[in-house]
Amino acid sequence: MTLEEVIEREGYSVIGRPTPKKDGWIKATGEAKFADDLYFPGMLHGKLLRSPLPHARILHIDTSRAEKLPGVRGVVTAKDFPGILYGDFAHTRDYLPLAQDRVRYIGEEVAAVAATDMDTAEEALDLICVEYEPLPAVFSPEEAMQPEAPQLYDRAPNNIASKSEFHYGDVEKGLAESDYVREDTFETQSMKQGMLEPHACVGLWEGSGKITLWSCKSSPYVVWRHLAMGLGVDPGNIRVIQTYIGGSFSGGKQEGMPMDFCAVILSKKTGRPVKFVHTMDEVLVIGHMRHSMKIRLKTGVKRDGTLVAQHCRIIANGGAHASIGQLSIFLPGLGLNLPYRVPNVQMESYRIYTNTGFAGALRSHTQPQICFARESQIEMIAKELDLDPVEMRRKNARAGGDVTPSGFKLGTFGFLDGLDRVIEASGWREKYGKLPRGRGIGMAGSGMISGARLMSHSASSAQIKIREDGTVALMTGSADIGQGADTVLSMIAAEVLGVRVDDVTYAMIDSDVTPLDPGAFSSRVTLWTGNAVKQAAEDARKQLEEVAAQKLKADPKHLVFRDRRVYVRHDPQRGMDFASLVRSTQNRLGHPVMGQGSYTSGDEPIAVQGGYGNASPAYSASVVVVEVEVDEETGHVTLAGIWNASDCGFPLNPMAVAGQSMGAFTMSMGQALYENLIRIEGQVMNPSFRDYKMPLIVDLPKVENVHLFDIITNDPNGPFGAKEAGQGPGDGVIAALANAIYNATGVRVKSLPISPSKILSGLEESRSNKP
Amino acid sequence: MNYLRELPKFEYLAPQSIPEVCEMLAAHEGEAKLMAGGTDLIIMMRRREVVPHYLIGLKSVPELNFIREEKDGGLTIGAMATSWEIQSSSLVRQRYDFLAKTAADIGSIENLHVSTIGGNLCDGFPCVDFPAPLLTLDAKVKLVSQRGERIVPLDGFYLGYQKTAVEPDELLTEIQILPHNHRYGGAYIKFHDRHAIDITTTGAGAFITLDSDGQTARDVKIALTTSAPVPLRVKGAEAALCGRKVTEEATEEAGRIASEEASPRTSWRSTAEFRTKLVQVLVRRALRQAWRKVTTSSSSGAAPDLWLMHPLDPRIGENR
Ligand SMILES: Cc1cc2nc3c(=O)[nH]c(=O)nc-3n(C[C@H](O)[C@H](O)[C@H](O)COP(=O)(O)OP(=O)(O)OC[C@H]3O[C@@H](n4cnc5c(N)ncnc54)[C@H](O)[C@@H]3O)c2cc1C
Repeated sequence: MTLEEVIEREGYSVIGRPTPKKDGWIKATGEAKFADDLYFPGMLHGKLLRSPLPHARILHIDTSRAEKLPGVRGVVTAKDFPGILYGDFAHTRDYLPLAQDRVRYIGEEVAAVAATDMDTAEEALDLICVEYEPLPAVFSPEEAMQPEAPQLYDRAPNNIASKSEFHYGDVEKGLAESDYVREDTFETQSMKQGMLEPHACVGLWEGSGKITLWSCKSSPYVVWRHLAMGLGVDPGNIRVIQTYIGGSFSGGKQEGMPMDFCAVILSKKTGRPVKFVHTMDEVLVIGHMRHSMKIRLKTGVKRDGTLVAQHCRIIANGGAHASIGQLSIFLPGLGLNLPYRVPNVQMESYRIYTNTGFAGALRSHTQPQICFARESQIEMIAKELDLDPVEMRRKNARAGGDVTPSGFKLGTFGFLDGLDRVIEASGWREKYGKLPRGRGIGMAGSGMISGARLMSHSASSAQIKIREDGTVALMTGSADIGQGADTVLSMIAAEVLGVRVDDVTYAMIDSDVTPLDPGAFSSRVTLWTGNAVKQAAEDARKQLEEVAAQKLKADPKHLVFRDRRVYVRHDPQRGMDFASLVRSTQNRLGHPVMGQGSYTSGDEPIAVQGGYGNASPAYSASVVVVEVEVDEETGHVTLAGIWNASDCGFPLNPMAVAGQSMGAFTMSMGQALYENLIRIEGQVMNPSFRDYKMPLIVDLPKVENVHLFDIITNDPNGPFGAKEAGQGPGDGVIAALANAIYNATGVRVKSLPISPSKILSGLEESRSNKP
Repeated sequence: MNYLRELPKFEYLAPQSIPEVCEMLAAHEGEAKLMAGGTDLIIMMRRREVVPHYLIGLKSVPELNFIREEKDGGLTIGAMATSWEIQSSSLVRQRYDFLAKTAADIGSIENLHVSTIGGNLCDGFPCVDFPAPLLTLDAKVKLVSQRGERIVPLDGFYLGYQKTAVEPDELLTEIQILPHNHRYGGAYIKFHDRHAIDITTTGAGAFITLDSDGQTARDVKIALTTSAPVPLRVKGAEAALCGRKVTEEATEEAGRIASEEASPRTSWRSTAEFRTKLVQVLVRRALRQAWRKVTTSSSSGAAPDLWLMHPLDPRIGENR
């Protein structure tokens, strides 16, 4: 079914229509207040002192000279905190607001200063004297796993921060029964979120003990918990208020960070609000990177390309902290369950502590890495067996109704439709193997969850209040991080209540006010929070329906809410204005119109160490094709075209879906070709956006060569059939590029980024191998 | 490397004329830094790589910002001419389209409007782009101090990594390019990872004047970016071509010789090996392009919208 047909059949008045983002205007005009735009009377400026050493014992910290500097109002060290570890998974928790007796990477926070201005705060940092005893450091996971390697934490022998292992079916038997078995090792690099707004916050600790943090947090409730944990105070004393967010992509905006703790503790010390803003340098040096991985993938297939067994072993560089790594190291298993039918799968993945910035969540959390490995290898297998890579994918593709070996229940899964779309639109049949030298085409497929059911808190909730003018106040706990949550959730409410998107206001998250919710990550907001919003809107509508039915002398079942009116379906003249209905209900009859809703997806837990169960209520599918031009003398790659088909269930806001799809594409393209956070002996060499190279507009194909397709499957678990759209479309991109480069040059690059020098070396090698 | 911080404290001086600049330089020798666009200097100060007491701003000196044709037909560019002004100057475009193109590719649109040619030359980094094309043009620079003026050829201006002939009390005021009396064509081709706004991994400039026979190269100049501690003329490669027809084989040979003359280093940005390979390719391409220009048409002037053309735009196909 096409988008138009669905809109027609369902009679949608709001959803399905391209809708500009609600806050576009105030962001474009600069009116929107980001955390760094907040000013309070008497506010101080904070700055963090960072470790210059990759691994050392802290023997002594002398802050006295800094404290005496005019303009300095407070200096804090670990001693000012209760020394309680905070973090996500109880068994891996290792964060402290400031390093206590040990620093474990260059950039780790050691002390903080609050002063009347930024220059003074920085000057004060120079006056803090830290006596370190350097310890041997280890930077690569392989070395860190050796028995004689320096140990980062006593509780983690061999520096294994966390691991995840599973085995479904019988891989050994499957491999034995395969006609062809192939093993490859793929390597991926460290990558950063690259959000434009660096982390920023303002902390206030009032005399009454009330603690408030204003910050650009995508998961304000997670931060709320972290703050309570690390400060050792009752969560009820803490209030986290979200500001506008200039991009998140997970990482530090998802959790409590040293700057957040130091802002509030320095406020306590000075009696003033304290602001911290990271420089981009700091953002690039601290943790929250995408895990760099070494992925060893062994796959067995039948002669005809049927996948039989897959065994994956991953070693990931976790850096100096656990972060959310226990989840990170489980999630590659998703890739082994989606999007192909592999009856026997086995994974052992290890996340290793090293003396580098720590790794955590980043858009599509570990999926681009695993897809790079799997989709590159499928192409190599097809080549080896002389099979058509498209047909090989088709043969093995999953479909709606499948249950994967580890228990994922795929309600809908439009993989094959997507495959057909991009194959046709890209002219694949005319191009594959037929393009001139230096020009190539490549593809990859992927699947993605719509919100993980893996955390102890995964349920969403929403509240709606209708004002007497017929406008709707919508509140959830899911932050708009630029992804368009404000707009799509408002659209859902507007559709149910028959008002316009502009009639709905979307509140910033405020832990004292807005409903509880885990936040914006894991592609969960549209489906989970969207369902909660839909339910809240239906609840509010029901309250209005009863009154309208009486007034219009109609059966509530026959009422239609549309275009700011309520009317009887078979007699549209018999109706009333939405706002006057609200006034009658609320102001005359005394029934405040307030709806509430929630969504969860079952309670049976899945162990992140590798457990069985349905990871998500819905799964999206994506297939991407890219065409590249490779300069065979320099190895330089230029993208000529993109064809991306993604099954988002139903595109509630097609404009936002396209934006997300393109964003996800571009981000993965950055990882494929350019981005790499380079550390030498633990020191970041490229901490700026000049040297940490994210793709530019000129690196993308011309607009006329970018083709995005929505595959509509109307998932029964999604609000109006919608699934995720923000991450999945990027998952296969790296592999598609690797495959296209291979197609253009015959060079197979198995480590990222696929740099010109690697391509050139490959070309030379193949030339010298030819007789 | 130090991390980016707030600017250190300094005193800003705003001279109005060249003599005033010289006076300030002399008065604060060793303690002052000239500031042109500041696109490099400010970053170095924020990283505490230089911490001057005084910043002598050159923006307030109008006589440093010009692009003019001399009576003898030569071209002179003031030190404070911005990359944007150079890329949009019809004088530069008509004469030396490749210099206009070089200017157009100095970073982002913001950077174009702020960065100056004087700052680019005085940086002393081997990775900046103006020196190579200017070296192929045999450009000279004028250095001025209270002690007097001197004209220094750019070939010889670079003494080492981040070391130039500019004395602490001196100011670079202008860049001089003498007229060319024969048909000529030039090109500057740089390689970097992204399609724009990127540090040059390696670059090569070539400038060819045609002999009166209309068949052979009368003179060839080739210069490289990021291929040695300094911007580098590769004279062996040049010599191999002088007096010859610039055929495919000749460009091939020149590329090979140039790559032997180059001594790039390995850093986290790239390897010496890759850079050496690039020298070969880029020199060949620059020569090919310059030769095409010299033999086919009179230098035509660059396309009007040089900045951020799409990589697959046929108009940049000539880079191959
Ligand atoms: C995002 C970005 C992208 C960039 N991309 C490129 C690029 O593609 N190619 C490239 O070549 N460069 C690039 N650069 C570097 C830089 O912009 C250029 O080198 C620029 O031309 C420097 O000029 P400026 O006027 O900003 O110099 P400044 O920073 O003001 O000065 C540089 C140095 O020269 C000295 N100086 C300046 N003027 C004089 C003078 N008249 N006499 C004596 N000494 C002087 C200063 O004291 C200082 O030491 C980029 C920079 C950035 C930030």
